[in-house]
Amino acid sequence: MKVLVTFHSYFRDLTGATQVLEDVPSGTTLGELVHSLQKRFPKLKSMERSTLMAVDVEYQTRDYQLHDGDEVSLFPPVQGG
Amino acid sequence: MKRWLRIQWDPIDEAALAHERTISRGIGAVIYFLGVVREREGEANISAIDYEAFEKMAARQFEKIFEAVERRWPIESVRVVHRIGCVHVNEPSLWIEVTAPHRGEAFAACQFIIDEMKKVVPIWKRPITETSSANLDRTARPGTNH
Repeated sequence: MKVLVTFHSYFRDLTGATQVLEDVPSGTTLGELVHSLQKRFPKLKSMERSTLMAVDVEYQTRDYQLHDGDEVSLFPPVQGG
Repeated sequence: MKRWLRIQWDPIDEAALAHERTISRGIGAVIYFLGVVREREGEANISAIDYEAFEKMAARQFEKIFEAVERRWPIESVRVVHRIGCVHVNEPSLWIEVTAPHRGEAFAACQFIIDEMKKVVPIWKRPITETSSANLDRTARPGTNH
């Protein structure tokens, strides 16, 4: 199944990408997806403990089970105001 | 509770926002907060902050904050404006207004909105120094030639 991953803020600099379309096996969790992205984009690994994850417009945890067509966002801690 | 949110590139027009205010006869407190860009960011002197938002999710997260406010206090209305793009020192990046029957709940709700926003609303800032100001491509709003 396919999921679209968007990198926000300086995560774009860490990965050199704004979006990547990932083909993942059925049953893949958000944590597993992030782990595979950290292998491909090693600089993401350094932000592992402060990476926030969302699917569509809601925060999700690593055990969230992905669905075909999910839109995943990865970003650093927020800083509004 | 009336809710109103705007995430915008344009400068925050305080006078226009005040002009648009409507309150019922039971309201005893109207408070507003302005978040302003200051010249020190950590150890650095800056000239501006470039704000970026994941707007669709920011709107959803603000909505959840407003729902929490409504459950907790008897607030009549909340209006929030957050600016994105390049905001210079001394300019406001954030404007929040809360109207309520009494000042206690108005101040508490306003503080709550700010605190929660800083935890969950996907907005990020990039300090702009004098040396980095030459590279402001991303701060140009979509559809412009800046």
